[in-house]
Amino acid sequence: MKQVYDMLIIGGGPAGYTAALYAARAGLSVLLLEKLSAGGQMAQTNQVDNYPGFPEGVDGFLLAEKMQAQAQHFGAKTELAEVYQLKLDTPIKEVQTSEGLFQAKTVVIATGANPKLLGIPGEQKFSGRGVHYCAACDGMFYRGKTVAVIGGGNSAVADALLLSRVAKKVYLIHRRDSLRATQVYHQPLLDAPNVEFLWNSAVTDLSGDGRLSGATVQNLLDGSENHLDVDGVFISIGRSPASALAEGQVVLDSAGYIVADESTKTSLPGVFAVGDVRTKALRQIVTAVADGAMAVHAAESYLANDQDGYM
Amino acid sequence: MAAIEINKEQFQEYLHADKPLLVDFWAPWCGYCRRIGPAYEKIAETYGHQIVVAKVNIDDEPLLANQEQIEVIPTLVLYQGGQAIDEVIAPESKAAIVEFLKKNLNL
Repeated sequence: MKQVYDMLIIGGGPAGYTAALYAARAGLSVLLLEKLSAGGQMAQTNQVDNYPGFPEGVDGFLLAEKMQAQAQHFGAKTELAEVYQLKLDTPIKEVQTSEGLFQAKTVVIATGANPKLLGIPGEQKFSGRGVHYCAACDGMFYRGKTVAVIGGGNSAVADALLLSRVAKKVYLIHRRDSLRATQVYHQPLLDAPNVEFLWNSAVTDLSGDGRLSGATVQNLLDGSENHLDVDGVFISIGRSPASALAEGQVVLDSAGYIVADESTKTSLPGVFAVGDVRTKALRQIVTAVADGAMAVHAAESYLANDQDGYM
Repeated sequence: MAAIEINKEQFQEYLHADKPLLVDFWAPWCGYCRRIGPAYEKIAETYGHQIVVAKVNIDDEPLLANQEQIEVIPTLVLYQGGQAIDEVIAPESKAAIVEFLKKNLNL
């Protein structure tokens, strides 16, 4: 007979691996399903400066590997599997994956979030060929070239700063007339000589022959359009939750986040949502790891009470 | 079997060997390349007896990267019979790499 785990965790970011650590230490049988490698979004940040305990900052990928190693040290297991389907509304929950079917009494959804797409012509076509979503990942290709960053929040500004050190010229294109980003980011960007701000502007079209070479920028105040020669465009307009698997099973909010309070309990008994995929005010590594611990706390009491809600 | 790091000369040898050759073009500064690492090692473990599973650091081998027209990394290129038969850019999961291999080879 196939093993029924006490807990299956979907997603190997900081929330997922903290849940795995706490579950393993609590003596639960736990399997974490991750499609690629530990860390999620954190793994693509090469300098994490706001995780306590690292005064010089820490590489997100290495931090992720350490979180994974720590959970595995206490007995948690990882399967590199892509999850295709969930069945969550029964006492024994089922997860269909690329590596077969897994069963568990509780499921922790830690699937995180992905960059939001802009939804303009050419975006898909040039994805990876001039259109990017992660400056830390792909910025180095634009040494000495001209790029545009779209967005005005923290990640857009951080991307623009990073690119300003590599590229010849950086345009920051933002729909509004001021930055939404935290104050600490503003001055370094304003000081960078090769950064030009295009306020009240939106990119409406991307063009090129096989590879991106230009963008159409519309001034939102007077509707006028300009062509901009760029080698690369970095889209940084926020994130959307990776909640598609859970859709129709647990309650989502209007933006697609899984509704759960600090207890991490979703609308279904035995199903918990942790990290960026959960409704919450602040999406950070520290709040993600806190969720991981909470989910195990809640799951333990659910398991101890004979899986209330089904009996 | 672990994935092997190869240079331009080794690339030429493996390219004309009997087994198909899978190459992950990567660089140390590429965040997503690192993320693929663990999954790529699993691929080497599982399929290493049927395919040569290799990696090329494009910073060390810029001529080879240029010759193979690598524009973004990570790009995984599959070679058979001396030529590239398919490629996948930044696959999003281990499953996606397996699917890419199965689409092209009889594994």
